[in-house]
Amino acid sequence: MAKSSLYSVYLTIMVAFLCILLPWSGYGLKLRPDFVLLLLIFWMLRAPHLCNIGTAWFVGLWMDLATGGVFGQYALAYTITAFIAIMYQRRLALFNATQQLLYVLMLLVIAQLILLILKTFSGVEVDGWSFFLPSITGVMLWQLAVALGLKTSVHSRT
Amino acid sequence: MLPGDHQKFEQQHTPTFFARGLSPLTRLAFFTSLSLALMITDSHLQYLNNVRERLMALLYPLQVVANAPYSLYRATDEYFSTHHRLLRENETLRTKNLQQQVVLQKLGALTLENATLRNLLQLNQSLAENSVIGEILHVGRDPFSKKIVVNRGTNHRIVAGAAVVDAAGVIGQVTRVFPSTSEVTLITDKTLAIPIQIERNGLRTIAFGHGRDGTIDLPYLPANVDVRRGDKLVTSGIDSVYPIGLAIASVSDIKVTPNSPFARIVCQPIGRVEYNRQVLLVSQPPPPADMPVVSDEIAEGESATVKSAQALPEKKALPKTTHPRSARPTHG
Repeated sequence: MAKSSLYSVYLTIMVAFLCILLPWSGYGLKLRPDFVLLLLIFWMLRAPHLCNIGTAWFVGLWMDLATGGVFGQYALAYTITAFIAIMYQRRLALFNATQQLLYVLMLLVIAQLILLILKTFSGVEVDGWSFFLPSITGVMLWQLAVALGLKTSVHSRT
Repeated sequence: MLPGDHQKFEQQHTPTFFARGLSPLTRLAFFTSLSLALMITDSHLQYLNNVRERLMALLYPLQVVANAPYSLYRATDEYFSTHHRLLRENETLRTKNLQQQVVLQKLGALTLENATLRNLLQLNQSLAENSVIGEILHVGRDPFSKKIVVNRGTNHRIVAGAAVVDAAGVIGQVTRVFPSTSEVTLITDKTLAIPIQIERNGLRTIAFGHGRDGTIDLPYLPANVDVRRGDKLVTSGIDSVYPIGLAIASVSDIKVTPNSPFARIVCQPIGRVEYNRQVLLVSQPPPPADMPVVSDEIAEGESATVKSAQALPEKKALPKTTHPRSARPTHG
């Protein structure tokens, strides 16, 4: 198991942020998974002493800056998602692979739902169910990472 | 021995910033309220604009790094473009240039004529706008809104509110300016409204982006309004944000339903809103202090022209610097 230090947490989140900054457009933009949130969840499940709700909030602020929206939208969505992730972090040891995957999917959808509510308040329309596609691609990316041998949790050794 | 032990003991209990001290619920409450406060401050007050500008400047190097792979690809693609393709492109450009030269010659004469006529009527000179060419860095990262980011900013004297134009027509408006980039809201975005005029009959109204499917709406027009399919919408220039007469869209569909007093008019943008890489940022100089006089004169236009037919010789003799308002009594 690779050791997880604060340095590696921030470095990987930075790389994920760069992935968000890539010039996505068209279908790519619609399918683009939220790399940053995926990594936040990964670190929160694996090393909650290094990456916690505060980290999620701080990274969310940078996402707000990158997307050009009102400050605090991504920050709030990430904060609440991080809270749920942390709350159930210890129970994750009891989950099998499928349950873990569903759990991650749930977290991604929750983050998107909060964003949807916040954006609807500011009067934006969403084009249907395709809005939730990033969650699907995100969970696929997660599965890919797991299949490539990434240990997602400290406890799960199944 | 004892001090060493003591030190060890202390080290173990030194609380770090992210220690497990606070319960998740406390943190949730703290950061949620912080986010809510930020949202309210940012959407209702102007305090954070400066902060955003600074932070965007910090983000710029990252943006350049993220764009590097794509620009490298484009550079190599351009480098290896075939001789034949270049020749062909050169040919088309030369033809286009010739055609536009002819139009430009006419334009020169027309501008001169217009200036003379305006002089005669003592209207304010229509102001020359300054334009900067920019390149689209990337489309907005928020799938909710239709925005693009252009590589020109306050460093290139771009101001918020500048119109963004491509070869065919208006594609948007600069809504936020940062030191070396600026954010452009496209005309298909729901939040952008443009004062327009229908070219065929001069009907003035306001066009709104539709948001979802890349079309433009003309709301608030009665069901019996004189709009036909294929009508061209141009900027009316009334807001003094957009220059007059830039093409925006053409009417593609008109739906009249019996249960609504308004017609639903759908327009397709003329500018290639989602395709081009190069755009022109056209900023109008700030209107002079005596701006309202212009509309005054236009409203009076009909009667004024009749009067000025006789008064012309005297008016010409007036010094050029005379203020239109002060000149009014002479023909009143």
